[in-house]
Order: sequence, then C-alpha cells, then structure tokens
Amino acid sequence: MTNKTTTLSKNQKLILTLLQEAQQKTGFISEEAMVGIAESLGISRSDVYGVATFYSFLSVQPQGRNVIRICKSLPCHLKNGQEIIESLEKQLGVKPGETTPDGKFSFTLTNCIGECDQAPAMLINDDVHGNLTPDKIARILKTYK
Amino acid sequence: MPEKRIVLKNCGVIDPRRIDTYLQQDGFKAWQKASAMTPEQVIAEVKASNLRGRGGAGFPCGLKWEGARNAPGAEKFVICNADEGEVGTFKDRYILQNDPFSLIEGLAIASHAVGARQAYIYLRGEYRFLLSQLRGAIRQAKEKGFLPHVDIEVREGSGAYICGEEMALMESIEGKRGEIRYKPPFPTTQGLWQMPTVINNVETLMNVAPIILNGAAWFNQIGTERSKGTKVLSVSGDVAKPGVYEIVLGTTLKELIVDLAGAKNIKLVQIGGATGRIVSASMLDTPLAFETMLSAGAITVFDETRDVIDIVHRTMEFLAEESCGKCSPCREGCGIIVNILERFIKGTATPKDITTLEQLSSAMMLTSLCGLGQAAPNSVVDSLKYFRSAYEERMKKVEVVAR
Amino acid sequence: MADITVTMNGKQVGGPAGITILELAKQNGIDIPTLCYLEGLPPTGSCRVCVVEVEGSRTLVASCHTPISAGMIIQTHSPKVLEARRVIVELLLASHCGTCYMCEKANICELREVAVDLDVGVPRFPIRRRFYPIEDESPYITRDLSKCILCRKCIRACNEVAKKHVYAMGYRGFDSKVVVDFDEVLNKEVCRDCGICIPYCPTGALSNPQKSRKDKKGPPLVIKG
Repeated sequence: MTNKTTTLSKNQKLILTLLQEAQQKTGFISEEAMVGIAESLGISRSDVYGVATFYSFLSVQPQGRNVIRICKSLPCHLKNGQEIIESLEKQLGVKPGETTPDGKFSFTLTNCIGECDQAPAMLINDDVHGNLTPDKIARILKTYK
Repeated sequence: MPEKRIVLKNCGVIDPRRIDTYLQQDGFKAWQKASAMTPEQVIAEVKASNLRGRGGAGFPCGLKWEGARNAPGAEKFVICNADEGEVGTFKDRYILQNDPFSLIEGLAIASHAVGARQAYIYLRGEYRFLLSQLRGAIRQAKEKGFLPHVDIEVREGSGAYICGEEMALMESIEGKRGEIRYKPPFPTTQGLWQMPTVINNVETLMNVAPIILNGAAWFNQIGTERSKGTKVLSVSGDVAKPGVYEIVLGTTLKELIVDLAGAKNIKLVQIGGATGRIVSASMLDTPLAFETMLSAGAITVFDETRDVIDIVHRTMEFLAEESCGKCSPCREGCGIIVNILERFIKGTATPKDITTLEQLSSAMMLTSLCGLGQAAPNSVVDSLKYFRSAYEERMKKVEVVAR
Repeated sequence: MADITVTMNGKQVGGPAGITILELAKQNGIDIPTLCYLEGLPPTGSCRVCVVEVEGSRTLVASCHTPISAGMIIQTHSPKVLEARRVIVELLLASHCGTCYMCEKANICELREVAVDLDVGVPRFPIRRRFYPIEDESPYITRDLSKCILCRKCIRACNEVAKKHVYAMGYRGFDSKVVVDFDEVLNKEVCRDCGICIPYCPTGALSNPQKSRKDKKGPPLVIKG
C-alpha cells in the first residue's frame, strides 16, 4: 500500500522552503507571494495556504519589524515566566498577538524554545535571550530598531 | 561516577567553527576507519554495540540501518532529527552549538552504511541561530574531503512540535504540512518520497563515531544489560544547576537531579516533557534506562510549592496547541482535557469529571494515529495515579446547609 | 498472490496479501464503521472510528490502513473496541453543530448513523464548537463548516475524483479547517458546476443548495439494537 497523503508531486518539496524565504524577506507571507509560489510550482492556492498556516513561525498577516516570541512553557513558567511576560507586555504596551503602533515589535507567546537552562527565555527574530529580568528586557529592547 | 562523556566529549574542548580543532581530537578517524569497511561490516558493528535510538523510542539503531540498507529503492536517505521540540529538552541544541562535527561524522558513517547519497538535518525553526555554524561545519567537512559519498542538506522547521515525530518530519521535508502518516509502511521501507529512509536523533548519531573507533565491545561495557552507553539529559525547573548532563545509563534519577543538579524538596519530576511521565518524589531511586524510564531526555523538576493540576493543565494546553489535527482523538481530545482541568482549577469539577478524564485518556492512548496522541494523556494518567488527592481537593464543595 | 489466514472474531478467514483488515472484514460480512474511509482511494487514517483489536498490539489499530498479516488475531467488536469507538464519536459530536432537526442531511448523515449504531447519546464531554458562518454564495454547494468533522473526504474527492484541487487542509490542531484558496468563502469563482464532493460528505457540512422537498427526504434512519 502506498502512503500518499496528498497528491502533491515531488517538485512541490519547495513549498515550505519558498514560504520560509518569503517570510524571511518581508517578515510575512503576502497573498502575492503565495500566488507566485502556487503558479511557479503548479499547485493550488489552497495547498500553499494550507502549508503556510500549519507552521506557527510562518505568518500570513503583516508583522512588526522584529518578532518577539517569549516562552510560556513549564520550565520558563517555573522561573517566573508569567511575571516576565507581564513585564514585557507593559514595556511594549501591547498584548500577546499584537504589534506595537510604531510597527517595531510583534509580540507572541510561544511554546518551549529549548533554552530551559537559561529560563525564562525569549527569541527576538532568530536571537536567543535568556535569564530574563524586567531590567534586562528593557536593555535588550533598546538594541532593536 | 555516574557522569561520563562520550557524546559530549568534545563540547567545550573544540572550536565548533573550526574543523582543525576537531581533527586534533581524533576527528573523522572513525569515518576513515568506516570508509575502509563494507557497509555490512559497519552495520554489524553498530548492531553488536546494542546502540538504541536516543530520540525516545529506543529502537535498535543497527536494525534500522539494516532495514533501510536491505529495502529496495532507487534512492535512500538518512535524516538527522534535530527538531528537538519536547518541553524541557535542549541537549541537541547544546550538542549542535558545541560539536557539530561529530554529528556530521556520524551522518557520514550512517550514509555509507545505508547507501544514502543524500542526507538531511532537520533543524527546528527555534534553532535558526545555529544554522550558519552548522552549514559552515558541513562545508568544512566537504572541503576536507570527508563527504565524498553524500550531500548533507540542512532543512529548517518553522515552529511545529509535531515535526519531531518522524512521519511528520518527512512530510515537512517534502514541503508539506507536518501531518502524521500512518504506519506501516515504516520509513525504513517507504520513507521520504516513498524511499527507504533512516531517521536518527542527533544524540544517536553522536554515538556512532565513538563506537566505530573504539569497537562494540567497548560500548557494551557501559550501561545496563539492555541499555548500553550513556544518555544526555536536559535538566530544568526547580534545581540549583539546570543544564545538560551526560550520565551512564542505569544512573538513578536521584543521582542526576539531587547529587548533580542540586534539587531540593522535590514534589514531582516530569520525565520526557509534555508527552512524558510524571513520577513522585518516592520514585527517585528509579534507574534511568530504556527498560525503566528514559524518554528523549527532558527532566523537569518541580518542588513542593508547585500545583499538580496547574502543571498538568499547562502540559495539556501545550499539546492541544501542538496537535497536528489530523486524527480525531488527539485533535478533539487534548482540548477537552484542558476544558475539564479548568473545572478543577475553578473548583466546579465533580467526581464524574475524574471518570471522564480516565475514559478519555484511555481511548486517546488506544486510538490516536501517532505517538503524540497516544502519549498526550500521560501527565493526566500519572497525576491521577500519584496525586489523586490534588484532584479531589479541587472538586466542587457541596455545602450542607442546616435548616 | 498467496492467501493470508487470520482469525477474525474467532473465525479463520483468508484474503490476498496486501488487503487491509477493513477490506477483509467487508468480504466476510463484518460491518466495521468508518467515517473517513473512501473505497478506491488511499486511506488517510484520520477519523479512527474503524479501530479494531489485534492481539499483541499495544494500541488498537485502524483497520482502514492496516494490512493483514499471517496469524493476526483480530477482534472487530470487542467491548474495548466499542468503548473506544464511542469515545471517538462522542468527541466528534462534542464539536459538531448538533441541530440535526434543522439539517438538510439529517436522514442520510453518516455521523448520526454511526452514533446510533454505537448507542451514543449526548456526549459525556464538554461541548467545544467551531463556529463558522454558512457559505451559501455558490449555486452548486452550500458549506456549513460548523458541521465538518474533518474527515477530508471532500478534499480527496475534489483532488482525486474531480481533479479540481479546490480544497486543502488549513491551520492546525483543533483549528484545522478545510480551506478554499486563502481561506475564502466557497463561491462560484473558485468552484464551478461540479458538486462532486457533496455526496462524499458524511455530515451536513456540504449540501445541495435550494433542495426541493422531495430530495430532502433521504432513506429513513434505521435504528438498530
């Protein structure tokens, strides 16, 4: 028995890679980008959208210039993660899932990022920041434009 | 001494950006030895070493390689699973950060044994900061002529825990949604693009070069009867020294978290992250081995101040968010468990809710499509077993009013 | 190919290598319920309603995608199997918009039929619904995704039978949804003059728009047991 989960053919292995490239380039995946991917690979728009919305690091909505993902999983939670999340909320002035009015930061909660030995931790774009305290967060935020 | 460095022997010793520092530590000597052997001889050595998969399931590594080697297929693939997503695990990140070369050497040997001309490292999106160093290490190994037989490509994940499951990981490399495929067929016969495929955890591949270099007999002297070698464990939570520890298999939980990591006033330990088991403080003498309790290596310690229901609730919230959604028991069940646990948190639960939790957990374990759904209710089942009173105390208080 | 012999519900039965437990059961007149299975198309194994007990297996196995192997001892209707199926159907009902008396397909609803066969009543679980507006812009299909149980039959029918590739799975986990283009309303622009998927839908999520009164009346619901 063959294990065909979808009818996508082999050149469609590029969907995810192309979506990741679009995400890296513009900070989100626009409809135009998805149309382009669908047409260049000869697959349906629905299939492209389906892949784009499966992965939590891909976004089909515009994002801020920098994306903050702060960990909410247990190891960070045990190290005052909640306090740190609230402090970040206060410093940014927006709730999780929102973007600051100046478009500088998007702020989301995320699941374990594998930095539990330096909990509480967060990712800003690809950078890891661990052993967070409210003061440290203030200093870190200043370094992003 | 329970600590022994086989996998981590180069961590902190070499410069992960410079292959010459690795070559000074006998780097690629195992590859040179293996490339002079036939693939069958390499497989025989790994089989004789009794090396078992370090990703959690503990499947014998040599058997996996042999299965893929012998399976018919125009192409064959080896994949290194570096999608370390389990809550509380960071050992693979530590390895990739400090010694990418041993991993590449292991992949080179595995590809030779299996007959793969293409290998992949699937790196989780959260570890994107390691990408350039890892690609640099592959480039240096290629320039030095250590990869004449195989191309190693790094593929990135994009934030999906489920892609650490081998079937979902292959779907993701194929560019699709990281949804689970059913088994059989198994990856060794019909894996990536329906071709024979070996998927090994980072740590499994890290053991390959030492085994080839020192021989299976040496490896068999370490560990317990059914679990040979060492295990790298990530210790987090209420401990004085969180971090990565490499211990001889068979070391007790107590030696690890109390003696090495400095835990005090332990209430419970979660072994294996969100899909792992919960053990109470009375079980600290349990040896860490495949035959007892091991998982991929997340050890999260909770002290007496922690609330069991809160721990289980957060664990189930994680799984509800990370379920791929393909099969109904996991897609629907995880969220319903979260809802029922909320009743205990709010104090509106009734005894019937405990029965429902038990019935639902049992059905999810029996019917889910993959290991995630089957293991999703572990924290519920274990906490009901060891901390049932925590649930009973949080049920709705029925007030008896005297007339 | 040589026949493989297995024991199914205590009886020795045989079938060619490569066929699934479900197909063998069918050949022997044993009725295993299914919701996502589509004869002639590759299985997805997503609904899990067709699980059976195979001796020696840690878990139950889905009969739609598990091939028979020599010496298998299979129970298709053991108490353990029936209870697991009931839980699954109750889970599906807990998120399925439950207004059967207002549903076009109430009398031909496969979900309802399976539930009745398993003697499932009101789910024991907290109700968690997915609310979506009814999509009735298309002259060919009316879509009400609050009734969808995510069996993916419409996707496979559209891809493999109609070869149109209109639908795909979007999002993840509980939020999974059968999407059209960039999650747009099903209208005549994206899906024209077809409707092949409608009879494949096991619930009222896909139905014919503006049905005449006669069409509304499907075959009567048979209540067993």
